[in-house]
Amino acid sequence: MDIRKALITAAGKNQRTLPLQSLVDRDGVTKTALAIIIEEILSAGIEKIGVVISPGDEAAYRVAAGTHASRLTFIEQSEPRGYAHAIHSAAEFCDGDPFLLLVGDHLYLSNTEKGCAQQLVEIARAENCAVSAVQSTHESKLPYYGAVGGQLVNAVQHLYQVEAVLEKPTPTEAEQKLDVPGLRAGYYLCFFGMHVLTPAVQRILRELFTDNDRVNFRTALAHLAEHERYLAAELAGRRYDFGVKYGLLTAQLALALSGRDRDEVLRGLVELMATN
Amino acid sequence: MSSSLIEIITSRDDAVRNRSLDEICRAASFADLLAECAALDAFRRQSENLYERVRALFFLYAIHRFHLPERAELKTGGRIPFHGYEQLLQRRFEEAIEIFSEAQKTDGPSDALSSALAAAYHRLAFQTLADQVRRSVRTVRGNQWMFRMGHPKDQPLRVRRELLTKAADGSYPILRERTPVRMDLTHSAWSDIFFLGMDYPEGAKVLNVSVDLGVHGRDAAPQPPVSAWLRVIEQPVLRLVSVDLGARADISELAEVFDFAKDYLGLLKAAVIASGLVPPGIEGSGQSLGGLLAEMLGPGRGLELVSSVNDIPKGSRLAVSTNLLAALIGVCMRATGQAESLTGPLRESERRLVLARALLGEWIGGSGGGWQDSGGVWPGIKLIQGVVAAAGDPESGISRGRLMPAHHVFDTKEIPAESRQRLQDSLVLVHGGMAQNVGPILEMVTEKYLLRSASEWQGRQEALGILAQVLDALRDGDIAKVGAVTTRNFQGPIQTIIPWASTYYTERLIEQVRAEFGADFWGFWMLGGMSGGGMGFIFAPARKAEAQQRLQAIMSETKRELQHALPFAMEPVVYDFAINENGTFADLLAGGNALMPAGYYALTVPELLRQDQRTLSPLRRAELDKFGAACRTRPELRGMVQTLFDAMLPRGKADAASESLASLLQENGFDAKQHEQIRLQLREGRIGLAQNRLPTNAVIEDVHEDDVVDLGHARSARLEARGLAALRNGEAAVISLAAGAGSRWTQGAGVVKALHPFAKLAGRHRTFLETHLAKSRRISRLAGANLPHIFTTSYLTHEPTAAFLAAHADYGYEGPLLLSRGKSVGLRMVPTERDLRFAWEEMPQQMLDERQQKVRDSLRTALIGWARGAGESSDYTDNLPLQCLHPVGHWFEVPNLFRNGTLAQLLAQRPQLKTLLLHNIDTLGADVDPMLLGHHLESGATLTFEVITRRLEDRGGGLARVNGRPRLVEGLAMPREEAEFALTYYNTLTTWIDLDRLLEAFGLTREDFAPEANADEKITTAIRNLAAKMPTYVTLKDVKKRWGHGQEDIFPVTQFEKLWGDMSALLEIDSRFVVVPRRRGQQLKDQAQLDGWLRDGSAAYVESLCAWE
Repeated sequence: MDIRKALITAAGKNQRTLPLQSLVDRDGVTKTALAIIIEEILSAGIEKIGVVISPGDEAAYRVAAGTHASRLTFIEQSEPRGYAHAIHSAAEFCDGDPFLLLVGDHLYLSNTEKGCAQQLVEIARAENCAVSAVQSTHESKLPYYGAVGGQLVNAVQHLYQVEAVLEKPTPTEAEQKLDVPGLRAGYYLCFFGMHVLTPAVQRILRELFTDNDRVNFRTALAHLAEHERYLAAELAGRRYDFGVKYGLLTAQLALALSGRDRDEVLRGLVELMATN
Repeated sequence: MSSSLIEIITSRDDAVRNRSLDEICRAASFADLLAECAALDAFRRQSENLYERVRALFFLYAIHRFHLPERAELKTGGRIPFHGYEQLLQRRFEEAIEIFSEAQKTDGPSDALSSALAAAYHRLAFQTLADQVRRSVRTVRGNQWMFRMGHPKDQPLRVRRELLTKAADGSYPILRERTPVRMDLTHSAWSDIFFLGMDYPEGAKVLNVSVDLGVHGRDAAPQPPVSAWLRVIEQPVLRLVSVDLGARADISELAEVFDFAKDYLGLLKAAVIASGLVPPGIEGSGQSLGGLLAEMLGPGRGLELVSSVNDIPKGSRLAVSTNLLAALIGVCMRATGQAESLTGPLRESERRLVLARALLGEWIGGSGGGWQDSGGVWPGIKLIQGVVAAAGDPESGISRGRLMPAHHVFDTKEIPAESRQRLQDSLVLVHGGMAQNVGPILEMVTEKYLLRSASEWQGRQEALGILAQVLDALRDGDIAKVGAVTTRNFQGPIQTIIPWASTYYTERLIEQVRAEFGADFWGFWMLGGMSGGGMGFIFAPARKAEAQQRLQAIMSETKRELQHALPFAMEPVVYDFAINENGTFADLLAGGNALMPAGYYALTVPELLRQDQRTLSPLRRAELDKFGAACRTRPELRGMVQTLFDAMLPRGKADAASESLASLLQENGFDAKQHEQIRLQLREGRIGLAQNRLPTNAVIEDVHEDDVVDLGHARSARLEARGLAALRNGEAAVISLAAGAGSRWTQGAGVVKALHPFAKLAGRHRTFLETHLAKSRRISRLAGANLPHIFTTSYLTHEPTAAFLAAHADYGYEGPLLLSRGKSVGLRMVPTERDLRFAWEEMPQQMLDERQQKVRDSLRTALIGWARGAGESSDYTDNLPLQCLHPVGHWFEVPNLFRNGTLAQLLAQRPQLKTLLLHNIDTLGADVDPMLLGHHLESGATLTFEVITRRLEDRGGGLARVNGRPRLVEGLAMPREEAEFALTYYNTLTTWIDLDRLLEAFGLTREDFAPEANADEKITTAIRNLAAKMPTYVTLKDVKKRWGHGQEDIFPVTQFEKLWGDMSALLEIDSRFVVVPRRRGQQLKDQAQLDGWLRDGSAAYVESLCAWE
């Protein structure tokens, strides 16, 4: 499977300004979050990037993208009808091709040389099917994420055949439907905010939007799992949701502590702790 | 040797697996039986399989309880190591078995040790079962996470947005869950007991119907009887309200949620925990409830959960409380998104979750129901059946079946709508008014199932066939056939397995209905664990309305007739019912409709109205306004104003009761002076439970061989002839002690034990009274002279006994039959905290299962609080007057004969009377055995006490040498618990009395009883003098207080008594002791003993002593 396109969603009501925030990256360079996300995509060998935005946001995003602005295609979501609708708004951009999907309010930090997006794209290429990045998450965090259940693929660690997809399940439901062999008790595979999707997803969304005004994206993924091979992969890395309280701070700290300025930042933190 | 019993347990061949234990044991020698025990014990220790372990344990129990004691080779007597008994009390069953087995190795097998081993194996078997059911409940998927969650921040549940959104009037919506109860059409031989379902899933099947109920003549139409209501409140508390029990609490501490017996909100608390709102894993975490609520609802908010039962009484056998628990769990799960359906019916997967949680809730709350009890959650008529455990199930490899059954809801193709209507047109559903504990019955069923006793196993198979027949009849709409089949079930398999499922009351009802309705009475149907409470009578539809009227009258009349004989909790009720085709169903009440049930306001509004309106929150004020407006417009709230008025200004009801108590005390010779003296002594700590004991320096030893005469083994023709001659000459009379309330028999229900039709003997239910008379009749015939029979009575038992004997024409007893009415009565007192603590903390006692123990501890704390609040040692008057009085001990019953003229009357009729035989009402084997009479006469003793060799269950004292002199010692007086275990003999209380010598001990002669003697004063003084030498024991007794709709609370109360056995301590009385056969001396104290009594041949022995006609 050849993956040449990526889609970033940034049209959510509380999400619009998040990719525009400035952060200092691993190399000590100040960049916008959007630029960091774009670089993550580029490192996966993808050059065509679509960004779904609210009407009127394009200028700000262009500025935030800096030197990468010319690579971007902006897609306006005409009405605020949710995440699935935002993705479906980019149907034309996807144009029957597989695509990498990321959310605009997450940062990904890899534990290896390869970026998270690169890891995911390589798996999707190798397996030739849709793959969602997932992270083993404690059940107390279930109210915040979509989650999947399934079996290990050929007993390969960290790769799962998805059998069920649920949006923010209760642990009661998760325990019954999202049991995954090999995970610790009380942990489930929750979405990482990064997927490689096949063209079937846009088709499923089209069908779902024919009958419904609002559609839950997890419903589309559940359909996908019923129709074709769909995997979940645990990546060597972590994601940081800077849309939550202190999320941006945590993301920044994570970036800094994994980069060049680690000692300086740590010293600052210790000083802070000592004087407060 | 190869063990044939292990082969039965492990065989995969049904024919071998289902062989009866009895059959094999009968053919085995004594040595074989001991070898089988050794092999079984080794086997159960190494087997990993639950079923194998439990069945081996039951085999071991049965061999020690029933088979070894029958063998002549087994030594009677023997000692039970006290240390083993202590282990048993602490629920360390394995250790107890070790100790008893060790003693068996060193001392040889004995009757006493077998009784101890039987008890230990029996309890270990049930503990193993209970542990497994609980483990399975925890491992059900969907339940596990709640045990992992220990911190509020980890609470993953969120209350649904719909419930957090206020209406325009500022109120939060109310989520209401309404749930039918369930009735069981087939009663497949109690196959709904968890273990049966888990061990024999193929045999676990019931036809379960969800029904709405109304009380006939009271309610306009049947409604779902239970409902649960939930809403968000703006206080960070859990507000729990039980409208049915009139209880409410604002809970702000986590620990309080887990305190079940503190108030009447245990069921609501269990629901809150089992639904995950306060997950079980957080118990004891020291975290804050407010924090937990904030995670689910946002800061400053809390939840209000309200339960309501449509006045359906307890003990209805319709699983009201389990379905209420399910409704509460359902509403909590919907509110937190654990069920996708916020309103409407539940989906199948959601219903199964509610079932799993209800099982968990019952475990947490320390109660337990059958696996079909949450049937009301499902719609209409369904088949519930066991499922064989498969690979991947948590039960796989542990038990044959799964914990959770499968439900198949019949559609109208399978059971047509017309058949359902016909069932409703024919069935009269009633509550007979009896509320009994079915726990012992369920244990009996489990035990018999595992032993595969031939007739019971046959009965079980037959019951399974009956289910198929009921189903066929329902498919065909043939309700008459349903009636015929359910009747056959009741009369056949059900009673074959458990004879105690039927009661005399039930049989009288059936008999009367059959006589009145003839062929239009199509059948009887027992609901639940036993009859007497919820029952069904099936009639030709044309006569249903008439049958409803008549059944009410027949039940009320029969209850009146038997109210002193059987434990009735309430007035019988006839229901209207309708099949509920929805199952549990929820709706969201918003805006103007967001009102709680009417009873909620009756409970909460009076207090709100007493408060300054300005201090009420705006939400509360708005709700009051809304409620006020609704009272004016809604028909269902009509009469509310009156209700509130009554609640705020209650009318005095206490006066009449206190008047009747005062007159009762006066009528029954209450000694107010003595009462005050006892109160003073109690308060000063001079008497009390601890002071009952003999001084600790008293030397208590077992008696010597020559202290007793053993008449337990051989008959003596010479002594028999001597006794018969005395009988023929009219020199003897028998006294049955029937003045006590028999509190253990009905757990303090206050019925007359003597009148209880406790078992079927010679084909009919017989009372203790009738049985004792039948024995005297046989002796009379044997001797050729009628034996006078005296029953002693008291304030509690006299009138009912007299009326009962009159109604039964003295059971046709040919000889003189006298009632000796008690002349002394005491007034119960609220116990002191000191005595409660002594009883609960200092005395060795049976620990309960972990959860039940928690509930018991919590209840005990509440009862200590009650005693402090009500006033320690104050008069106990907060109950029916009769429940406030107490008999003052059986010592007084012989002197009462002197005082009340009974002895004078006897002597006038029979001046030759020389010997009295005194025995307890529950010593069913005691009769005027000519040989024992002959022995007593020949010995020249004043009193000859009968003793038996001891078994584990024989607690409460015994025959001992105290400081070198043989005498009977009451259990209460034992300075150390273990001293009792060193005693070989147990006191039966049965006493042969030489009348003249006894009178002499009192300082009286028979001349004092001549009509012209006018010796009343002398007699009274003589009694007082001797009474002064007798110790007074302070005891705690359980007394039931009934309230509401069949609800019962049990309170421990203080009373005092003097006991007959202490006569043996008087130096001036020549007391002797004879050892008699166990069957003659054993007592029936507890209804749970009945089944063993029937099976071990004791009942047959008693029958052999009786001449019924």
